[in-house]
Amino acid sequence: MDGVHVALASGESLVVLGPNGAGKTTLLRMLATLLRPDEGSLALLGHDCPEHADRARGAIGYLGHDPLVYLDLTAWQNLELFADLYGLDDPRTRIVDGLDAVGLLPRAYDPARTFSRGMVQRLGLARMLLHDPDLLLLDEPYAGLDARGRALLDEVLAAERAGRATVMVTHDVERGVAAADRALVLRAGRPVLSEPVTDVDPAAFRARYEDLVR
Amino acid sequence: MSPRSLRQFRALLVKDLRLELRTRDTAIAMLLFSVISMVIFQFAVGTRTEETTPFAGGILWATIALTAVLGVSRVYVPEREQRVLDGLLIAPVPRMVLMTSKAVAIVLYLLAVEIIAVPLVGIFFVEGSFAQDLPLILLTCLLANTGIGILGSLFASMALFSRAREVVLPVLFLPSLLPVVIAAAGATHSVFGVSNDMAEYRGFSLFLAVYAVIFGLVAYATYPFVFDD
Amino acid sequence: MTDSRSGRLLVVTGTATAALTALAVFGVFFVAPEDADQGIIQKIFYFHVAIAIASLVAFAVACISGVLYLRTRRERHDEVSSISIGIGLLFSGLVLVTGTIWAKASWGTWWVWGDPRLVTFLIVILLYAAYFVLRSRAEGERQRRYSAIYAIAAFASVPLSFYSVRIAQSFVHPVVFTQSGANMPDSMLVWFVVSQIAAFGLYLTMLQLELVQRRTEKRLRTLKTRVERLVAESPGA
Repeated sequence: MDGVHVALASGESLVVLGPNGAGKTTLLRMLATLLRPDEGSLALLGHDCPEHADRARGAIGYLGHDPLVYLDLTAWQNLELFADLYGLDDPRTRIVDGLDAVGLLPRAYDPARTFSRGMVQRLGLARMLLHDPDLLLLDEPYAGLDARGRALLDEVLAAERAGRATVMVTHDVERGVAAADRALVLRAGRPVLSEPVTDVDPAAFRARYEDLVR
Repeated sequence: MSPRSLRQFRALLVKDLRLELRTRDTAIAMLLFSVISMVIFQFAVGTRTEETTPFAGGILWATIALTAVLGVSRVYVPEREQRVLDGLLIAPVPRMVLMTSKAVAIVLYLLAVEIIAVPLVGIFFVEGSFAQDLPLILLTCLLANTGIGILGSLFASMALFSRAREVVLPVLFLPSLLPVVIAAAGATHSVFGVSNDMAEYRGFSLFLAVYAVIFGLVAYATYPFVFDD
Repeated sequence: MTDSRSGRLLVVTGTATAALTALAVFGVFFVAPEDADQGIIQKIFYFHVAIAIASLVAFAVACISGVLYLRTRRERHDEVSSISIGIGLLFSGLVLVTGTIWAKASWGTWWVWGDPRLVTFLIVILLYAAYFVLRSRAEGERQRRYSAIYAIAAFASVPLSFYSVRIAQSFVHPVVFTQSGANMPDSMLVWFVVSQIAAFGLYLTMLQLELVQRRTEKRLRTLKTRVERLVAESPGA
């Protein structure tokens, strides 16, 4: 990764595009405080990282390829664990609401291992949203989701925009651009484009993108 | 520990115990392994001597050291196999709390094994009654487990990301564990069966406590860096 | 240029060490009095103990560099730490070899479990050999960080290993140093001190040599990639 400057205001959403190996996931993992940058600075939600990473972590929601839930725990036990880790008040209400939102309340006491892939990913979605994060980090979020989960995620991204910033890494250029305010295109760890895409036609952008990364 | 950290710590530990109670993979494997190890010691050493009582402490702690390697190598299995580690690392959990919860999990697994292994060693290898020695040996177990847990959590976390993890861990873990084996075997030997040398027992117990304190300090200094990528 | 400066420093330490080593060998064999009880074999003591202490110092340096690495993340500290452990391991091996020779001459057996210092060095070798196992299994920044953590933990193990072996066994090593200090005539002590300084010098020389070599290799690599890029960019290629 080299020379990437990203500044994201609250309420803004950014889509990160690029071919395989361009460093999209690396960038997202840095934002998620899972990797520390070798050089340069990183401030998340007003907290300098990695020094004050713990303070930023409480306000970040991350969903990647793995749903990050324990398959041998029940849906309820999973969310209970994360409610405790994030120090949430009134965890019962939050868990019930969270499970209800992703349609897993009837299966609350079943181990996640008995769920379908799409249901597990929806549980991951509930885990990400449980602490009502200010910054959502999404790595190919649509990949593992079933139709219901995709609709849910679209709803989350569209409805709860107020005050919440989003960074999404995706291969799906049109979908990503349609949902985002800004686009960042990476190639071999370097930014080749960074501009607003609010009024851009996704199909036209796609054509430009393919020229850029060829 | 702040109330918030305490809540995180409890949640992590409860999670590990729940997963273990559900699958019982680790505890049963450790227990069987410890019994097999005793049988091996019987045929390696026991059949060559008239009286095995002097070897009982040594056999017990050699067994527990090897069993501990097994337990420590399994302590991150849920996170690894179900790919949840990132989920714990992105949460606002101080690394110290995460590592301490794993250390306590190791201590509890070992204790579960020892509750059965210690009387079994007594029955197999000690002549005469040994029931009166069990409280003192339990204290030795607790002191030794603390050291093993602190060190085990550190090395298990480092082995997590290395290639050929199952080879790395014993090579890494056992040399540092040697002082615990020596002192715990000494303490056990000094009170097990007919021998009753309280001065020796106190000396070895003090050493075990010092070991736990020193590695507690090492852990305090190094735990925060293990997951600091 | 820092390179030529560290090169010059290496020449100075190297020369001084060579001179000191020659002086130590001369002094130990031709000037120092022969031990009344043990005879000529006691000469091995000068080297045995000197490299034993030098190896412990190398491990201490590795531990301190490990702490510094964790605080600063500077690659330099990791280099000093890993090179020091390599040298310390080599010295520990020599301690075991000279120790077994001494044991054979004094007690007629190559190995004595009753000697806590010799046994401790066997454990130390196992401890620090594991360092390189760990190091070879990780990459990049993680490799340096784990190495630093292990260098710290292993150094804490050294005294613990020694005391555990010691309280578990009777003390039968011929006592040259007693608890209160040096228990030998001044004519011997002088040459022991010279041997000790020579052993430290040997450690420093090897450390610098390895550091200079690694830096040179790194520069060679960057030069190579630059040449390759130039060749690739030149139109005639």
